[in-house]
Amino acid sequence: MASWLNKSVSLIFFAEILQGLRLTFKHIFVKEITDLYPHQKRVLPAGYRGVIAHLRYDDGTEKCVGCALCEAACPSHCITVVSAEDPKIPQRRFATEYILDVTKCVFCGFCVQACPVDALASSPEYEMATGNKRELMMDKEGMLALGDRYFPDRAKRPPYTEDRFAFFNKLKASEFPKSHQGVTTHATLKTLSEVSS
Amino acid sequence: MDLMFYLVTTVITIAVVMGVVLFHVAYITYFERKILGDMQDRMGPMEVGSHGLLQPIADGLKLFFKEDIIPTGTNKIIFTVAPILVLVPALIGFAVIPFGRDSFTIGPITLHPIVTDINVGILYILAFASLGAYGVLLGGWASNSKYALLGGLRSAAQVISYELPLGLALVGPILLSGSLSMVNMTTAQSGTALNWFIFVQPVAFFIYIISAIAETNRLPFDLPEAESELVAGFFTEYSGMRFSFFFLAEYANMILTSCIATVVFLGGWHAPHPSLGFIPPIFWFLGKVYFFLFFYIWIRATLPRLRFDQLMAFCWKIMLPLGLANTLITAIVFYFIRNY
Repeated sequence: MASWLNKSVSLIFFAEILQGLRLTFKHIFVKEITDLYPHQKRVLPAGYRGVIAHLRYDDGTEKCVGCALCEAACPSHCITVVSAEDPKIPQRRFATEYILDVTKCVFCGFCVQACPVDALASSPEYEMATGNKRELMMDKEGMLALGDRYFPDRAKRPPYTEDRFAFFNKLKASEFPKSHQGVTTHATLKTLSEVSS
Repeated sequence: MDLMFYLVTTVITIAVVMGVVLFHVAYITYFERKILGDMQDRMGPMEVGSHGLLQPIADGLKLFFKEDIIPTGTNKIIFTVAPILVLVPALIGFAVIPFGRDSFTIGPITLHPIVTDINVGILYILAFASLGAYGVLLGGWASNSKYALLGGLRSAAQVISYELPLGLALVGPILLSGSLSMVNMTTAQSGTALNWFIFVQPVAFFIYIISAIAETNRLPFDLPEAESELVAGFFTEYSGMRFSFFFLAEYANMILTSCIATVVFLGGWHAPHPSLGFIPPIFWFLGKVYFFLFFYIWIRATLPRLRFDQLMAFCWKIMLPLGLANTLITAIVFYFIRNY
C-alpha cells in the first residue's frame, strides 16, 4: 500500500525528472574539466613520447653516429639512415641523411632505446597537424632543432635512454677531447670502467 | 496629425519590441550553449570576444554570407516561402504581450509597453502559432528529401497533437480571468503571488509547460529534428539565411511561449508581493521570462529524447484527459464560487 502510494506520488510530482534537474543544476557549479586547448596546454607526464628528436654534445656536434640501429629497431619502418665516414676524422662515421617519416611513426620509442650513443630522445612535441604532409618527413636538421628546443639541459638524461645502452656515450663524456681526436689510451679504458661501475 | 502620432508611436513600439526580441533570440543561443556547457562540465563558446560574448554576432554573420543552396527537385516557391512562414508567426505573437505596466512619454510621443491590446490576444497568439506548423510541413515537403519529409510530418503530427492540451491548459486561466486579453489576464493576477494562476491552476501550468516544450520542438520533444534519426529533420536541405530563419523561429517561439507562460501563469509584470513594487514591472517580467528560458535549457541538459509513440501516447492518453478534467473542474468550481 505504502509503496503504491509512494510510487504514484512520485509519478504525479515528476520525482525522477526533478532528481535529474537537481543533478544537472549542481553541475553548473562543478569546475570545468576541459582545457582551453590552444591557449592552455596540459602538463605532460615526464615520459611522454612525442616526435623523436636528435641530440647534440656540449660542443654542438651531433651525437648520431649513423649506425642505423634505430632503423633496425623501428617496427613501422619509418626511419631511413644513410651514413658515411667523416672525411676529416678517419673512422668517425655520421649520418649524411636521417629521415623520420612522422606519418608512419607509432611513437613506440624503440629507436630511443636502441641508440648506442643516446643520440635520440622522445620529445614532448605532439602538435604535428600541418597543411603540408611533406613537412612530416623530418630530416636530421629538423630533429636536431627539436632536440635543442626540448633538451637544452644536456646533463639530464632524457627518459627511456637506459644506462646499459649508453656505453659509447659515457666513453665520449668522460674522455671527450682525447677520443674525439682518435687517441685511445689505457687510462681511457680504466676511466670507462670506473664510469660504468 | 493625431493619426500621424499614432502611426509613429506604433512603428517605434514595434521596432523596439522586434529589436529586443531579436537581440534576445541571438543571445539565448549563446546562453544555451554556455549553460549546456556548464551543466556538462564544459566551457561552451570561449573564443569570439571575452568568454565568447560575440559568438552570436559571428554566427549571424556566417549564416548571412553563406551560400544559399536550393537543391534540385525542390518546389522552389514553397521551399523559399516556408522559412518565412515559420518565422513570421513566431515574431508576430509578440504584438499582444504586455511587457510592463507604465507607458513613458518622450515629447509628444507616448510609448506603451505593448504593441496592441486586442481583446482576443491569447486566441490571436494560438492562431498564429498553429500557422507556424504550415511552414514546417511545407518546408519538409518541398525539400524533396525523405528526412525532411519525415521530419515535417512528425512535426505536423506533434504540433497538432500538442496544440490541444496547450489550448485546454489556457482555458482555465481564461475562465478565471474572464478575458482573452493579455492585459486583463495580467491585471486579474494582481496582489500577492498567491493570486497567480500557477497556484490556482497548477495542473494547467504543468500541462502548458510540457505542451509548450513540445510545440517549440525542443528537447525532450525534438523529434522533428532528431539528429540521430533524421539528420536535421524538416530543415535538412536548408542552408544559409533560410536555415537561420528556422533557427530564429525556434528561439523566437521559445521566448514567445515563455512570455505567454509569464503572462498567463506567473502574473506578468506583477511583483510577487506589493512591497516589492519598487522594482520596475518590466524587470519582473523579464526575470520570469528568463527563468522559463533557463528552464528550457535546463530540461534540455537533463532529459533524453522520447520515442515517437511515447510522445503521442503521452499527449493523447495523459495530457488531453488531464486538460479536459482540469477545464471541467475549474469551470464547475468557478461557477459555484461565483454564484453561491
